[in-house]
Amino acid sequence: MSENIQLRIKKVLVENLLKDMEVDELENDAPLIEYGVGADSVSRLEFLVALEEEFRLKLDESEITPAFFETVDSIADHLSKRLVVG
Amino acid sequence: MNTVADMFLSSVREFASRTAVVEDSRRITYGELGKMAASLSSFLVSKGVVKGDRVAIFLPNSIEFVVSFFAAALTGAVSVPINSAYKEEEVRFYIRDSAPKIIITEDHLRQIAEKSLPHADTSIAVVRGRGADWDRSRYKAGAPVSADVSADDEAIYLYSTGSTGKPKRVMRTHFNLTALADNHTSTVGWNEKDRILFTIPISHTYAFGNFISGVKKGARIVVMTEFNRNKVLDILEKEAITVFPAVPVMIDVLAKTFLPEPKDLSSLKLVISAGAPLKEETFHRFREKFSICPRQLYGSTETGVISINLGEDIEKRFNSVGRAVSNVVVKVLNGSGNEVPAGEVGEIAVSSPSMTTGYHGLPEETEKVFRNGFYFTGDLGRIDEDGYIYIVGRKKLLINVGGYKVDPTEVENLLLQHNAVREIAVLGVQDESGNERIKAVIVSSEPVDVKEIMDFCRGKIADYKIPHIVEFRSELPRSPTGKVLRERLK
Repeated sequence: MSENIQLRIKKVLVENLLKDMEVDELENDAPLIEYGVGADSVSRLEFLVALEEEFRLKLDESEITPAFFETVDSIADHLSKRLVVG
Repeated sequence: MNTVADMFLSSVREFASRTAVVEDSRRITYGELGKMAASLSSFLVSKGVVKGDRVAIFLPNSIEFVVSFFAAALTGAVSVPINSAYKEEEVRFYIRDSAPKIIITEDHLRQIAEKSLPHADTSIAVVRGRGADWDRSRYKAGAPVSADVSADDEAIYLYSTGSTGKPKRVMRTHFNLTALADNHTSTVGWNEKDRILFTIPISHTYAFGNFISGVKKGARIVVMTEFNRNKVLDILEKEAITVFPAVPVMIDVLAKTFLPEPKDLSSLKLVISAGAPLKEETFHRFREKFSICPRQLYGSTETGVISINLGEDIEKRFNSVGRAVSNVVVKVLNGSGNEVPAGEVGEIAVSSPSMTTGYHGLPEETEKVFRNGFYFTGDLGRIDEDGYIYIVGRKKLLINVGGYKVDPTEVENLLLQHNAVREIAVLGVQDESGNERIKAVIVSSEPVDVKEIMDFCRGKIADYKIPHIVEFRSELPRSPTGKVLRERLK
């Protein structure tokens, strides 16, 4: 999996949801729920639109399961498949 | 037309061949809606429902929700809409409080409805999905007839989020509802060519007011069971929606949503924002993307619609909730109950023919906020010299999550049931985007983590009430009298 995707995801997180953190403070496998990411529908939506903007991909809520938000790795896993398909 | 049934039947007759409700691929005309409501009304009567009985409607936005509401109205029953996002304990409260004769629900919600019943006197009727109890072909009716109700009879129970741990019942009469529809439609100028998209729940006062107003005018009601950005944009375009009531979070994410191809939303003439303040950035972003300005509306469960911003100078006054709608009086009062001069801040008080007379069973609460024919909203605001209202703050201790009001006491009471929670304070905190989030600060008696706390809440309260931020402390800051100093927890 491209490390570039994980880094870009972390930048999106830090710029939009976790503004008190630095990119290198976030571990790829850290449970994001501990930081409140994905905890409610509002923050989930905001995160999705920010990812869309970054990756120029349509991410519909109906294709996103709670597992998507677990870690940076789980998000990267989903996105990398979408980016391959196009 | 002083009753809901009169108003409904008038629309059924006048707009019989026009599309009334659209849900995905299903659509029905006003004539069909009339027949379905009559059929369900016959079914309710066969289940022993009589005038004055309560009928709980525990359904998502759907054709069946619309049919159920008007079937109850034809029967002379009192509707008790319950948000389909609610879980068993929440639903149980509404059932206990309103004591309905019957709960109308769908197959997916049947289990929650069954578990929420406190006693056997309330029956359940599934009208949507598998195993439906209502067979339309069996309960055919002729022309719809309505029970003998008067304008002052109870028509609906809605519930207002309080700060005491439990919602407060707000009863509105037939007159209150028809007055609301009259006042709102005469202000916004809707007609039968309008098409209104409801993704916000019609069980909530904001959508409900727009819904009943739309039906009065024979408008097309287009429903979605839940918010999905791309589906909303598709429907706005394909159904040529003219009116879209929304909350600021929806407007914000729609403005930011990635669109591989542009959408033609030229049919839209009114995008309404209510429930929470509309940020300037959101206003401009949406306007730039879709060439239409969102306009703020202000209302309450206690009064229905209070004001709407239809001013031509919307770009300068985007942050105003507009002027009072027809027949509604809005004043800004100081602590002594006197009206303040234009531009000064005070508490907003409202007098409206669509307002309730008080909270059921809560005389002290009623006395606090209903005085001299006015409802004291608990919102701080000002009115400018042109009559435009601006909300500047809130007196009440409620958390506003994307337009939904959350009572922190309700969440505290729930979490105090967790073995590991010794003390707790729940409060609203603003994030960097200006949205309010629920924060729970916990003093624990044994090891527990954030996930356990959130998992404990899940399934017991609606998702929007689950704390977004959980913080553990060794003690809560308190005043000398023991009151938790919430400001220090932000």
